[in-house]
Amino acid sequence: MLKKLIIATIVLSSILWAKGVKPVENKLYKLECGSCHFAFQAGLLPERSWFKLMDNLENHFQDDASLDKADRELLVNYLVKNSSDKAYNYKRSRKMDRSISKKSVPIRITEVPYFIKKHRKVSQKIISQEEVKSLSNCTACHTKAQNGNYDDDYITIPNYGRWYD
Amino acid sequence: MEEIMKKRVILLLLPLGLFSATFNQDMQNYIDSLKTEAKRNSSNFMDFSSSRGEKIFNASSIGKRGKSISCSSCHNLDLTKNGKNIHTNKTLEPLAVSINQNRLTDVKNVKKWLRRNFKDVYVREGTALEKGDVLYYINSK
Repeated sequence: MLKKLIIATIVLSSILWAKGVKPVENKLYKLECGSCHFAFQAGLLPERSWFKLMDNLENHFQDDASLDKADRELLVNYLVKNSSDKAYNYKRSRKMDRSISKKSVPIRITEVPYFIKKHRKVSQKIISQEEVKSLSNCTACHTKAQNGNYDDDYITIPNYGRWYD
Repeated sequence: MEEIMKKRVILLLLPLGLFSATFNQDMQNYIDSLKTEAKRNSSNFMDFSSSRGEKIFNASSIGKRGKSISCSSCHNLDLTKNGKNIHTNKTLEPLAVSINQNRLTDVKNVKKWLRRNFKDVYVREGTALEKGDVLYYINSK
C-alpha cells in the first residue's frame, strides 16, 4: 500500500510540477514560427505578450512575418492556451511569469527579468561571437532547448565549454 | 545510317541541356499563371530562364534593413548546401530540389516566401517574370 502511494506521488508530481517549459508540439507553430529562428516555447511569455506580438506580424523585429487570417488565429489560440500564465506546473514558465510586473508587456523573451537574471554572468564576449550572435539564439548554448530543457547540465557554450554556475 | 546516328546523338544530349525536376500539378498551375502574367506585361515573353533567375538570386541589393543583401546571403551561393539566416543564425535546409524533395511543392509556402524574401532583398514584390525565373533557377539545382 505504502509503495503504491509513493509511486503515485512521484508520478503525479512529475506531471503536476514539471521542470523546464512545455516543448512545442504544434506543427503549424514549428513551421511558421521556427523557420527563421528557434521556435520559442509558448510558455516563455504571458498571454498579453503573445497577443501584442501576434498583432503586429508585419513588423516582427524588422521582418515581415505576416500570415493569413486563418493561420494567425490558430497560432494565437495555441500560444494563449500554453502561455506562461497558464503553465505554472512548468518551473520555468512559473519563474518567467512571476518575474514580470503586471503592467509590463514584454515581447522579447530576453527582456523578461527572470531571463536577465539567469544570463547576468554571460559575458558580451561569449554572446557576440559568430556562433552565438545574440541571447535570442537559445540553441547555440542550450543543447536541449528544443525539449524545453534549459538546465545548467545541458549548456555547452561554443569555444568555451560547459557552464558551471 | 547517318539519320539514325543524328537522332541517337540528339537523344543522348537532350538530358544534359534540359535537367530540371518536374513540378507537381499545383506548382505547374502556379507557374502557368505566372507565365500568363509575364506575357501580359511583355509580349516578348517566351519562357522563364534559370540563368536569369540565378542573376536575380545572387545580385546584391540594398535591402529592407538598409544594408546590402542578396538571396544567397542566407540561402548560400551553392543551393545544394545549408544556408543560414544572417540575422538569427538559424540553419536553413538546402533549397536545391535535387537535395530537398519538399522544395517547390507547396504553392502557399512558395508564394509566401517569394513575397517576403523579395521584399527583404529588393524592397518590393517580385514581378511575375522575376518570380518565374527564380523558381526555374531553384528547380534546376
